[in-house]
Amino acid sequence: MSLLYHMTSPSVLSRILARSISLRQSALFSKNKDCTFFTRKEIMRLFYRYQDLAPQLVPLDYTSCPDVKVPYELIGSMPELKDNPFRQRIAQVFSEDGDGHMTLDNFLDMFSVMSEMAPRDLKAYYAFKIYDFNNDDYICAWDLEQTVTKLTRGELSTEEVSLICEKVLDEADGDHDGRLSLEDFQNMILRAPDFLSTFHIRI
Amino acid sequence: MFAYRNSAYEEDPDYPDYSGSQNHTQRYLKSPGPLNNSDEPSTRSNPYPAESRTSPDYLGSLAEPDYPGCQSNPDYPGTTSHPYSAGTDYPKPLAEPEYIGSRRNPYQPGSSGEPDYSQFQQNPDFPGSKGSGNYTGSRINPDYLDSLGEPDYPGAQENLNSSGPRASSNHPGSRRNPEHASPRVKAYTDSLGEPDYPGAESQSNHPHFFGEPDYLGAEDHRNSPNFWGEPDYPGAENGHDYGSSEDPEMARQMLSRTSSVQPSFHHEGVGPLGILGREDVDYPESIEMKSVGMANPYPGAPGNGYVNPAYVGDEGPGPAYGDPPLSGHDWLSSPQGQKLIESLITMTSRDRIKAIRNQPRTMEEKRNLRKMVDKEKSKKSRRILELNCCAQCLNSISLAYRRFKNNLSELLNSISLWQKTLKVIGGKFGTSVLSYFNFLRWLLKFNIFSFIVTFSFIIIPQLTVMEKNHLQFTGLEFLTGAGYFTNTVMYYGFYTNSTIQHDNSGASYNMQLAYIFTIGGCLVVCFFSLLFSMARYFRNNFINPHIYSRGIAKLIFCWDFTVTHESAVKLKQKNLSTEIRENLSEILQENVKLTFNQQFIRFSAHVAAWVVSSGVAITCCAAVYYLAENNLQFLANHSNPGAVLLLPFVVSCINLVVPRFYSMFRLVERYEMPRHEVYTLLIRNIFLKISIIGILCYYWLNTVALNSEECWETLIGQEIYRLLLMDFVFSLADSLLGEFLRRIIGMRLITSLGLQEFDIARNVLELIYAQTLVWIGTFFCPLLPFIQMITLFIMFYVKNISLMMNFQPPSKAWRASQMMTFFIFLLFFPSFTGVLCTLAITIWRLKPSADCGPFRGLSFFIESIYRWINTLNQTPSYLWVVWIYQNLIGSVHFFFILTLIVLIITYLYWQITEGRKIMIRLLHEQIINEGKDKMFLIDKLIKLQGMEKRANPTLFTLERRDLEQWGPQRVRQHDAPRDLRFRQSFQEDNPKA
Repeated sequence: MSLLYHMTSPSVLSRILARSISLRQSALFSKNKDCTFFTRKEIMRLFYRYQDLAPQLVPLDYTSCPDVKVPYELIGSMPELKDNPFRQRIAQVFSEDGDGHMTLDNFLDMFSVMSEMAPRDLKAYYAFKIYDFNNDDYICAWDLEQTVTKLTRGELSTEEVSLICEKVLDEADGDHDGRLSLEDFQNMILRAPDFLSTFHIRI
Repeated sequence: MFAYRNSAYEEDPDYPDYSGSQNHTQRYLKSPGPLNNSDEPSTRSNPYPAESRTSPDYLGSLAEPDYPGCQSNPDYPGTTSHPYSAGTDYPKPLAEPEYIGSRRNPYQPGSSGEPDYSQFQQNPDFPGSKGSGNYTGSRINPDYLDSLGEPDYPGAQENLNSSGPRASSNHPGSRRNPEHASPRVKAYTDSLGEPDYPGAESQSNHPHFFGEPDYLGAEDHRNSPNFWGEPDYPGAENGHDYGSSEDPEMARQMLSRTSSVQPSFHHEGVGPLGILGREDVDYPESIEMKSVGMANPYPGAPGNGYVNPAYVGDEGPGPAYGDPPLSGHDWLSSPQGQKLIESLITMTSRDRIKAIRNQPRTMEEKRNLRKMVDKEKSKKSRRILELNCCAQCLNSISLAYRRFKNNLSELLNSISLWQKTLKVIGGKFGTSVLSYFNFLRWLLKFNIFSFIVTFSFIIIPQLTVMEKNHLQFTGLEFLTGAGYFTNTVMYYGFYTNSTIQHDNSGASYNMQLAYIFTIGGCLVVCFFSLLFSMARYFRNNFINPHIYSRGIAKLIFCWDFTVTHESAVKLKQKNLSTEIRENLSEILQENVKLTFNQQFIRFSAHVAAWVVSSGVAITCCAAVYYLAENNLQFLANHSNPGAVLLLPFVVSCINLVVPRFYSMFRLVERYEMPRHEVYTLLIRNIFLKISIIGILCYYWLNTVALNSEECWETLIGQEIYRLLLMDFVFSLADSLLGEFLRRIIGMRLITSLGLQEFDIARNVLELIYAQTLVWIGTFFCPLLPFIQMITLFIMFYVKNISLMMNFQPPSKAWRASQMMTFFIFLLFFPSFTGVLCTLAITIWRLKPSADCGPFRGLSFFIESIYRWINTLNQTPSYLWVVWIYQNLIGSVHFFFILTLIVLIITYLYWQITEGRKIMIRLLHEQIINEGKDKMFLIDKLIKLQGMEKRANPTLFTLERRDLEQWGPQRVRQHDAPRDLRFRQSFQEDNPKA
């Protein structure tokens, strides 16, 4: 089957192949179903999205579980992420080695967390990771500066940025250790009801 | 992971052996006796691992159900610690004589040399060897896992925790490890990777191990990873290295090996001859191994090669297991993981899936977790269920039910309408505007449901007995709803009051009952779905309503990830920065108080605005009332069929103009917070709309129903139809013309105005208004949900187009989800409850018209129910329905008691909530205090450390070494943030870091 695949132009045949494989595939993916917030169909759709990112890299037949990674450059160019100021962080957080290169599992993971169904705590956990730029498990002033710069495209002056960071720490730092821990963050997110609907990427 | 650990080893000052082969050899020499060395290799030479991996028989035997039985024996750990007993017990079920032999062999040399010591030495091997068998078996055989108390895969040891223990002394742990889990490999590693094993430490630790039959000890787990760093691969690699040199030994061996993948292991350790050759052979070996381990920065690769087969063999999908990211397993076998698994096992399958899903882990880990839990579960349940046929039956039923539900939900999800359009809207305009469209879609689903119900239970039966319609169709009927449509299924008046029965023998269908029950059922379903969705929204969005802060933090952390359009993102970033700026300046000026004069002006502006707005609303209501009163006379005087459109036209005009007038008040009122402005606007608008509907209802029920000679229900239905249609036409015109004109004005004529923003509040209120009309009208005009369905469908596209053309994204962060909650609440409270009241009055108080509709001839609508109960009273098999009706539904006492109970419960819950509020406040204070404590302790620690450094420099160096150990890890974690997911616990273990 793989031979056939390599021999022909991907577009037409791949779809036909996809059909034929999809049954087996969907059985394979159905075991992912309970690990994500997706239905089988959505997983299939995500798989095709993933496959489309790098048709020559990702085989259509996933029954043998090939160890394939799609590089960050392609992940980041998805329309869903392309203009997101945090796209790099998202890819890093969800990729296995933190380099933004994603396996299918990582990919599913990412969209599962960003889906509508994911609960607040899970979302908050990953949001925290995304905002924690230096991966030290705390959102410190430096992380906040990064966040603000990304959010405002550098439109604010340095003093304003540092003032904001100060205010944010003031507001959200429950234990007054000068940085936000995951608990602080979750606590703050509780007070932001929109978070649930805004930390969401539609696919 | 591997690499990282490896390097840690290299740099680890605690492991001098690792640093170089020379060191290592020295250690050997220093070590208590040559026998130690000999023992060590013997561990390596243990036949089991090789066997287990290679010989199929062995695996098979392991997989035997009996086998786990003996394993699950609590004594098992004990047996492992005694090589003898282990040797005898264990192999027995295997029924492989070679094993026994091989086991003994290593033992003998040990005993001959240094009994105690060798024992200790061999202990790890033995369990190791046994473990190796078990290990492979474990995958097949859940029982084994149980008995160990640690289900887990060797990988498990690689835990994040590993880092913690490393800082402490690992040796003891390491020694224990092999016994703990994944013993096969560990045994190797111990002997191979730790030549200094024989050191005194090892002995001291062993007793520990003995004393600990369970493997649950957290420390043990943590320590294990160290070994894991170089578990297999040395073995695998060594196999080749030794092979040749050992061949002669092998020949000497009495053991018959089916496989010789790693023959060297056996031979050295097993045969007595091996001892002789040991010194020569083993040293280099061990050194070689080390070098292999060190030279290969990613030992994962060879290691995998080695481990994989076993895994794969056991579980189909396995690749995950052998891969470097074994960390997942580590996590699973860590104490937290264990705890989690235990807690998961007790859950129901649905909760379990939910819980697993909500774990912040990678997919692989979740999958493994689920697999393990399932395994444990199935094993546990097997014991119980095998006897219990009934439970099995139930189980299968629940499984089937779950499957069915899954399929159903998949099916429902697949019909999700407008997925793509919504995505585009969200991408361009953000969540707030999206919420309007979501609300629209939600209403559409509601109407589709109502339509399906009414269609199948009222309309279809009526269609089967339809009489011919003699009225002419002119086309104007689409606007007026009268004329031709009067004699169709659209209106109440057309329905028959007879019992439909097609053949004499066939089942009969009582139209009266069908009508009242269908409408009633529809309303009940609407009621509950409204209630539940409202409750859900409240739960999600008002978790903690009393701690609102101005929330600059929220601005920063609530970036709208749904926005994907490039220009929208730019605009949003710009808006956000201005908003942040405003917020900052507000915070800075917070303390500036307004003067009394300003306050007075502001207050009077509010009062004036309220007076004017209520005045306008009251005027409108009065106008509508008089118009409606005179409407009947007016209609009598005008024969033009279009005259009936006057009232709906006026009402729609009011609905169009007045809200815009209201929104102009903001120029006068100047609210500080946009939220207040929105709420005020909403309250005024809803007041206007609901009172207009209220006036109309009063007019219908009081004037039309009592005065009219004709079929008044149909007349009301027509009125509602016209109102709805007019409203639709107006909003269509507004979207296509008004908003378009506004854009032209904003862009061309008065450029300072710019593009307008989508007024979510007003648009949502329009939807609520229309929906209220539909609910009222469903009784009089059963096809109304269908009409609303169509209008909503069209509205979606029109609004979408208008939005894309004429609007810009909102400039303020909008509390979309709280607004949504508020909208649904509005839909529930004045709207739906109002509808219920109106319909209740209609059904209980009004007399149905005498010559049309299903209830003709009755004195009240509800009388149909009374009659039905009476007929049921005659048939004894339905007496229970009568009983329920008389004692529950029809009984005042029942409702009185029910109300009382509900009130009591409500009061109790209210008190509980109050208590929780206090609790939350206390806990919050506690968090703050703990933070202070932490800071204080850290300060103190730093001070103490400084003092200690001065007093005792050597101690300090030690400490520094510890820290250095940490150093590389940190760096590596930056390279490999996969670990990042585990860092939290990592940090917990080491507050110092």
